[in-house]
Amino acid sequence: MSETILSVRNVSKNFGGIQAVREVSFDVKRGEVLGLIGPNGSGKSTLFNCVLGQLKPSSGEVHVNGRNVAGMRACDLNKLGVGRTFQQLSVFPQMSVIDNIILAGQEHHGTMLSRLFGPSDAGLTAEAEQMIAFFRLSHLRDELAGSLSYGQQKLVDAAMAFMAGPSLVLLDEPAGGVNLTMLGNLKERLKTYNESHDTTFVVIEHNMEFVMSLCSRIVVLAEGAIIAEGTPDEIRNNQQVIDAYLGG
Amino acid sequence: MPEFIQIMISGLSAGSIYALAAVGFTLLWQASQTINFAQGEFVMLPAFFVLALMSFAGFPLWLAILAAIALSVLLLGAIFKRLIVEPMISHGTLPLVIATIALGLLLKEAVKEFYSPLGQPFPSLFPQEVFVVAGASISIPDIANFIIAMGTIIALQLFLQRTRTGRCMQATAQNPDVAQILGVDVKRMVLYTFLINGALAAIASVLITPVYLAKFSNGEVLGVVAFTAAIVGGFNQIRGALVGGLVIGVVDNLSAIYFSAEYRQAVPLILLIVIILVRPQGLLGTAEGRTV
Repeated sequence: MSETILSVRNVSKNFGGIQAVREVSFDVKRGEVLGLIGPNGSGKSTLFNCVLGQLKPSSGEVHVNGRNVAGMRACDLNKLGVGRTFQQLSVFPQMSVIDNIILAGQEHHGTMLSRLFGPSDAGLTAEAEQMIAFFRLSHLRDELAGSLSYGQQKLVDAAMAFMAGPSLVLLDEPAGGVNLTMLGNLKERLKTYNESHDTTFVVIEHNMEFVMSLCSRIVVLAEGAIIAEGTPDEIRNNQQVIDAYLGG
Repeated sequence: MPEFIQIMISGLSAGSIYALAAVGFTLLWQASQTINFAQGEFVMLPAFFVLALMSFAGFPLWLAILAAIALSVLLLGAIFKRLIVEPMISHGTLPLVIATIALGLLLKEAVKEFYSPLGQPFPSLFPQEVFVVAGASISIPDIANFIIAMGTIIALQLFLQRTRTGRCMQATAQNPDVAQILGVDVKRMVLYTFLINGALAAIASVLITPVYLAKFSNGEVLGVVAFTAAIVGGFNQIRGALVGGLVIGVVDNLSAIYFSAEYRQAVPLILLIVIILVRPQGLLGTAEGRTV
């Protein structure tokens, strides 16, 4: 049986009197691609932010590689091997593509002294170029990230998430706003990376075709609680899921 | 022509010192959305640290300057951030602006009350000599001030562009949420920015005060000049603040000689209004979109 990378245990999150996430539990194994879906307002993003340390759960625990990380700062979580992409564009617009990618990996290398005064590429230029080539962005290497198209920036964002060699990557609506050509490229790259590096993905996505073809297992949230869990085929035919999406 | 050269060099010298204050102003805005209206007083105060250390502790000038820079980094950097910025920033930009205005008044009145309401002579760092080039008399302090101020800004720019910490500070300024997720210790980067601003203010102070005397009211002019320089050059660019400072210094000097010495302080403000109307992002700044 493969090792559990992420374990979410009875996580709840309240905002005043509103319970956005209710007693959610699930595990994700190494190399698995888990989809987290649900209608708008179902608590997906809140749960994501609890896992990522951007929100502290009201109760419950989040374990990454066996370590309880609930409430841990995002920068410390990153050093434990957790990467993420963002729903909104999340590049550094006034830096070049290569500089964005290098920055994404540099905090995992070197001593405090080298961080303070060491060269800005942190010896990562070759690695960053490989990552850029992997995401087929080599022709944009020296362009300012802010000048790229939306879809290209999404690819840069993905490349940044992988640059630190994470064991777990949380992808927040990677397909959102991306055109069909770019979407196919993104999906294919994510699959290839998952297979070649055995990296675990958790994906929030509204694009059902994208999530069903990328994920091996899907968890469905509605009103902050899990209503279904299974393979894409099982989820497609689950009446409770259909009702939740149709408001039944 | 010789007179014009003299005015230009003198203007560039003063402008490079204004640029130090303006760069600090810009850095704080970029890293933490802090608009520090006490920046003028931040430039006024370190000169009094130097005078106090020389008078009361018997420090030689060079040691007093080093100690004043260290004190400024601590008090105008770390303590300012901890006691004023951190508690106020969560309430929004406006309360913090008001708090910095209040801090400026407090510092000004404190110096007036506890040190002296009178202008104090401040030792010059360089020989008060002039040399003649193409008929123009160039003063050594003007040249030395320009070299030190520009050298400081170039060193800062190299630090920001060529070191990992500098890159992390840029990332924090451009997108703090993403920087945090990528492992950057955003709080520490913001602290570094405040420490750098404290040092820049102290360097500007020891360069400009021999020209103006040490007066509790120096911050009034310097604060307006730093703010104006930052806006004129571009609030979101260090090189913009640099250009803004130089432009203000030159325009200020030119207007004093060729327009009116009485109204010289109005000229940068007119420039500010023109820039805001014609090019609100500043000469070198980039337009920023904000979701409201």
